[in-house]
This record gives sequence, C-alpha cells and structure tokens, in this order.
Amino acid sequence: MDLRHRSQHSHPSPRPRPRRGSNALAAAVAAVLVGAAALAGCVPIQPVATGVTHSDDLGTPVGDQPVRQGGHLVMGLSAEPDRLDPTTSTSLYTRYVMSSICEKLYDLDATGSIVPQLATGLPTISPDGLTVTFGVRTGIRFADGTPFDAPAVRASLQRHLSLKTSARRTEMGPLTSIDAPDAGRVVLHFKQPFAPITAALADRAGMIMSPAALVAEGANFGDHPVCVGPFKFAGRVAQTSIDLVRDPLYYDAGQVHLDAITYRIMPDTVARAANLRSGDIQVANEISTQDVDALARDRHLHVLQSGSLGYWAVTINIGNADGAGTPPKPIDSPLARDPRVRQAFADTIDRTTLVATVFNNWFEPACSPIEPGTPYASPASTACPPYDPARSRALLAEAGVPIPLKVAIQVTNTQDQLRYAQALQASVAEGGFDLTIVPVEYATLLDVQKRGSFALLLLGWSGRIDPYGNTSAFLASRAAANYGGYSSPELDALLTEASRSTDTAARAQLYGRATQVIQRDNPIVYTYRLRVLTVHSTQLAGIEVYSDGVVRLARAAFRADLRTGPEG
Amino acid sequence: MGRYLFHRLWQSAVTLALASVVVFAGVRALPGDPALAMAGEEADPEALAALRAQLGLDRPLPVQYLKFLAQALTGDLGRSTRTGIPVTQMIGTTLPVTVQLAVYAMIIAVLAGTAGGVLASVYRGRWPEWLANGFALAALSVPTFWLGILAVVYLAVQLGWFPASGYVSPLRDPLRAVYYLTLPATILGIAHAAVVQRQTRSSMVDALASDYVRTARAKGLGRAAVVFRYGLRNSLIVVTTVVGLQLGGLIAGAVVTERIFGLPGIGKLTLDSVFTRDYPVLQAVVLVITGSYIVINLLVDVLYTVIDPRIRVSGRTL
Repeated sequence: MDLRHRSQHSHPSPRPRPRRGSNALAAAVAAVLVGAAALAGCVPIQPVATGVTHSDDLGTPVGDQPVRQGGHLVMGLSAEPDRLDPTTSTSLYTRYVMSSICEKLYDLDATGSIVPQLATGLPTISPDGLTVTFGVRTGIRFADGTPFDAPAVRASLQRHLSLKTSARRTEMGPLTSIDAPDAGRVVLHFKQPFAPITAALADRAGMIMSPAALVAEGANFGDHPVCVGPFKFAGRVAQTSIDLVRDPLYYDAGQVHLDAITYRIMPDTVARAANLRSGDIQVANEISTQDVDALARDRHLHVLQSGSLGYWAVTINIGNADGAGTPPKPIDSPLARDPRVRQAFADTIDRTTLVATVFNNWFEPACSPIEPGTPYASPASTACPPYDPARSRALLAEAGVPIPLKVAIQVTNTQDQLRYAQALQASVAEGGFDLTIVPVEYATLLDVQKRGSFALLLLGWSGRIDPYGNTSAFLASRAAANYGGYSSPELDALLTEASRSTDTAARAQLYGRATQVIQRDNPIVYTYRLRVLTVHSTQLAGIEVYSDGVVRLARAAFRADLRTGPEG
Repeated sequence: MGRYLFHRLWQSAVTLALASVVVFAGVRALPGDPALAMAGEEADPEALAALRAQLGLDRPLPVQYLKFLAQALTGDLGRSTRTGIPVTQMIGTTLPVTVQLAVYAMIIAVLAGTAGGVLASVYRGRWPEWLANGFALAALSVPTFWLGILAVVYLAVQLGWFPASGYVSPLRDPLRAVYYLTLPATILGIAHAAVVQRQTRSSMVDALASDYVRTARAKGLGRAAVVFRYGLRNSLIVVTTVVGLQLGGLIAGAVVTERIFGLPGIGKLTLDSVFTRDYPVLQAVVLVITGSYIVINLLVDVLYTVIDPRIRVSGRTL
C-alpha cells in the first residue's frame, strides 16, 4: 500500500519522461516489488506535508437571506437510525432525525455552549449540589395538540429512569426523584452532586415526549414519536426513509420554512456523493475524506465542517478476562503487564502523519479524550507526547521484551479503518512492534470488546457534550464500558471529583490531571479525532452543524434567488 | 395428478421445516450479540439484561426456536430489534421492490440475450458473433458492483439521464417507477443477458443445423421464418429453463444492486439485518426467500406435469 500523501493539492515535480521498453519493464517490476513489500507491511511512512488546517464552517442561520417558503428537503443519511425513542435509542443517527421533531430541554449553540430550548433558563444548582431546578416553557403544545408543561417533563425523565431497557440511566447519574411543583418548574433530586446533568439534558435525555402518546403507544412510542418540534413524524419505511412534515402547532413556526423533510438511508459513501452531485439529495452527512476534496470544488455544493466531541482510540486489554464490568484479572502479556510497553506503543504512533496520509489531513491527531475546543480543555488535557520511535525501542529494551514485539490489533473491516490500521502498522514497526491486523465486522467487534478477547482494539466513540461521557464510562474501575479492564484508584478519584464539581475551571483542571494519569498508564491510546463533514446543495440556506455532529435541518430553506431542487 | 400434487406439497412442507431449523441455527451461529449491537458501546448491564430478556435471548435455544415457529405459523414474524417495526410490514414493503427489480431485469436479460444469441448464431464466424460473444464475455466478467458504480457516475451524475438512486412505487406513478428502475434493472440484467445469450446461441446453432430446419429451407421458406419460427422457437425451451435457474442469481445480485442504487428491496434488508444482528428480520427474510424458492420449484414441477404427462408416471414411482 502506498502511504504517501495523495492530496489533490500536491503537485509532483516535473521529471524526465521515461523511455518505453526496458524502463517501462523496470518500472513494472519495481511496482510489483513495492506492492509486495507493502503487502508485507514493511514500507516506512513517507514524510508528508502536514500542518494543513481546516477551519470550522458550522453553517449560518437563514437570517436576512431571500428564501422561498415551502419545499421538500431530502437528506442522505449514512446509517439507519434505531427506534425513534429518546429513552432507548443508542444510535448517533437517530439524533439527526430527532433534532427536527423532538426539541430538548437544552441545546448547544454554535459556540458549543449549552443554551435553553424547552427550558426557560440554565438550571439553578443548590449549594450542596443535590438539587437542580429549572423552569420550562408553558403555553406550548406537543404535535398531538396536548399541552407541554413540567409534569410532561417529569413523565419523560421518569421513563428514562424506570423503563427497563432505558439507555439513559447512566447519563442521568445518581438522580433519585423528579418533582414538578408547578406547570413551569422542574426540580431534580440527586444522591450525590452530578454536574454532567445539564449536558445530558442537552442530548437525548432532554427530549420530552408527549405523555398522551406515551400512554397510547407505551414501549412502541418509537413507531410514532410525538414531541414538541418544528416538524412531526409522518412515516417510516424500514431501511429506506423517514418522512417528516412541518408541525403547524410548533411554537416558533414562523422560523420554519420547509414543508417536509425526508431522511433517506444511504450507507454507501460513493452513492451519497453521487446523489449529491446529481441533485437527488440536497444534504449528506459523513462525507468520506476521499470524496470531500472533489465535492468542495463543485460550485453547486457547500462543505460544512466542525470538530467532533468523539475520538478514535486503541484500547489495550489490561485486565478484561471475564467481560467488561467484572473484576479485572491480570492478563499475561507484556502490554498488559508493563506500563513501559504501553508507553512504548503510545510513543511510536505518528499521529500527525497518519491523519495526513490516511485522511488527506481532514482529521486531527488526538492524544486525550478531552476535545480541545470545549471549555473543559486545558494545556494539560490537550498536550500530545511527541512521536519518538527511538524512545519506544529503548523502553521495550528496558522492559526486557523481544524486539519486534508481536501483537494483534482488531479493527472494523471498513475501508477507512483498514487503511488507518495499515498505516499504524507501519508507524509502530519503527518503534519495535510487529502489528498483525485482524479485521472484524462491527457487531462482532462490539462483542469481542465486551468479552475481552483482544489484545489491542481500534474503535471510535461519537462523543458527548460533557467530558464525563467521554471518560468515566470507559476508564472508571468496573464501569460498563471499561473494556480494557483498567483500574486505577487515582484516576477514579479524579473522575469522580470532576463529575461532582460544578465549577467549569476546576473541572478542566481535574480532567487535565486525569489526562496525565491516562497518558502515564496508557489503558487507552487516543489516536485521532474526526471532523464532522457535511455537504449540502447551495440551493439551501440555514443548515447548521455544531460540535455534537448533529445536522440541523429544521430551520433550513430553499433560497429564493436560485433554481429549486427536483423535489422543490 | 392429485396424488402427485399431494406428494410434492408434503415434500415442500418438510423442506420448509428443515430450512427453518437451518435458518434459525445459522442466524444464531453468527458471531456478535444482537442485544449488544442494539444497546451500543456504553450499554449499562441492567439495560443489556433487560434487552436480552425482551428479545427472548435468555431462554434455551430450542425454546427460542419453538416460539419463533409458533409465531411464524400464525403469521407473526416479530418486530425488528433495531427499529421496532413489525417484520411482516418490513417484508411487505421490501419484497415487491425486489420482485419488480428482478422481473424487469429478467425482461431485459431475455430480450437482450435472445437478440444477441440469435445474431451470434445466424452470423456464425462473422463480426456480429464476435461482437455478441465479446459482450457476453465482458458482461460475465465485470462485477455488478463496479458496473453499477460506473453507471451512477457517468449515466446519472455526469449525463443526468437517470436518477442516481431512489424508488417510486408503480401504484403512485407507473412511468416514473419504470424510469427509476431502468438503470438498476439493466445493471442487474446484463450478466444474466450474457448467460441467456450464450445459451440461445448454442441451442440455436444446434437447431439451425437440424433436419427439420434443413427441410424447411429446402421447401423454400424465407430466412426470417426459418430463424424465428423453427430455430428460435425450439431453442426457447432451453432458454426458459435457464431463466428459471437464473432467478436465484437475480435475488443474490439484487443485494448488491439495491445497495448501490439505494433501492428499498429485500436484498438490502437482508444485508442490513446481518450487520445489525437483527435476528427476527434476518430469520424471516431468509425464510421468505427460501419459501419462495420452494414455491417456484413446486410451480415449475407442477407445470412440467401439465406440459409433459410422462412426469406423472415417474411421480408415482417416487
């Protein structure tokens, strides 16, 4: 595999044209040899032009632009959402659809700050941190015409706690009870202080469902979700599409321009790019870094990009012998036993070159779970240890392990991940590791991860607004998603303290210290952070994508000064 | 005839029952846990256990199988674990799409294949035959997914002749339905056209060399009449058999074609349910496909007895 940067921007220097005949044969032989060597995984990574930075373009609201009222927007969605039920949903893609039909108590704004949506202001937290109070809008209605009020909020939050299959319970923290003293006020009572609650209410846990629909549909609420939102659910064809129509009852209907939105499921990246160009869809998410340069040059299309709250990382199995969440047991491998070997592995990942070669520089290197753009970032939590293969070899020698150290990494069998794994293989070979790539299909990899039948495992995490959701679940001792079986009382204490503190600066400092522990013990080696790449037709205005990665379509419109789309 | 039919029905029922066991076991032999695939990475153990119980995965396999069988016999195929949509509804919306695609592709394959085969046999050893054979070789060798992507890039995106994806129901707009299906059906039909063409060509060559054709020619019949009335008509019997055999290949090919063109068919449903370990959907889909094969086979066999009475005799000896 040729790992050299093949960006569209690079211009090869002019070279004399080779003569036909023997030179061509030599070139062919060389190509075969290079190919064979690449297959054997021993081509070193070539130096590349790095430092290409991409600035965020989150889109802009419609504002004063001349727009047409009405129109039918079609978005190509990269994966099928799961149940459209805020309590049980675990799919990132469900958020996209829900953002148009289900408003939340809080939302993010373009700067990544939490702002009230169905709530009337940010919550007030009692001095002991155990009581959280917030006001909610009154006089507005759900899509089924029933009134929205504090008891409705209580019903939704209570369902997150009590429904057996709820996926929201951990996000709600040590919440014990919910009160609605009047129609416009909700009070949450906690066993311990829990700072991440506001961020949780700016995500799926904060989507408020119509109590009447909950009674009528019960566990099947997701078949016909009813919330407060600019659009309402109209129908769904499995594996194909989800249709929404404008909700005339929405409290801010004046800001809604489109008549209908269809989310069409299109998992194939090539198909999404082709459909954007042909005009069959007007918006598409998760554009491949292989396609984005070409799409960016198309004058009918516009690329939106934002940083991501999530990360991709290599989890090292330190103590997961009987499955995640069970007491860790020692695992007999140099990587599990000796922190120096893990340090050596972390030191020999050339993160900058890897994102440059594999992702044409569209993604960014990552060394910690804390996203640099958030208020919880600090110099300590964003520090990145330098790429140092010599130090890596020295550490391996010090630990007394044979060089090269043979180790297998399990990765998802997607094209991007296999390319990344191959580049990683070449990178860590420099530092004395002989990496074997084991491609595994995604659902199987989840199982492997849970059971602990891996040495190294590369997977991504979509990210949460609050750093709690990006750290504790994966690193706290015996947490459900602590797949590496890592356990450190020091880190546990820091993470617990960070989740209880309500002071952002103090939390940032604590997460900085936590990062230092993580980078010392290396239970998870963070590799890169993707950028959320969304492309839309220039016929549209008002499409926005914030750092939570959700494409916000609800207030978009077709521009009045341009030809309309085929569905327009 | 009645006894033969009863015999074949009984055989089909046994085959279907065996198929249901194989499908059930096969789906469960897949690595990965549907509850985990559904609950996601950060699944809390309590929710995971509740999900397993809800899906019935905590029960012994034979119990799960019997429950599945009992439900299936009453027409209840359960709900998708991922989306919660009833499986019968999912099959009801996806199966007609695949059937339309397969039938359209087969029409294209038969028309193009027969035309090519007739040309190749009539102009044996001359350029039309080379052209037709070259087409057949290329069509058989080029993978459908590559051809599909090329078609999308050039015919849909650059030239804009066809839509790049999507589906319109013929009940809503028959013309647009045909327009939307033309490109996928052509791509799917091309490889099958090649098979039909080769088959037509070889049986036409045999037919045209036969005594009755020579007699027809000797009696002064026109060339077209000889080729179509005597040659093609007799070759079509073989072609029909090939078309029947190809139907299975069409469904398999539809998985890829549906994915490329974003068609909401049963092939796409099968693939997606494998990836999400959606047991109820996967079981039902594979069972429906198996069932339709058995039904088609049964129909073909029964039709044979109508066409050829000798088969009834052999039916008695079975």
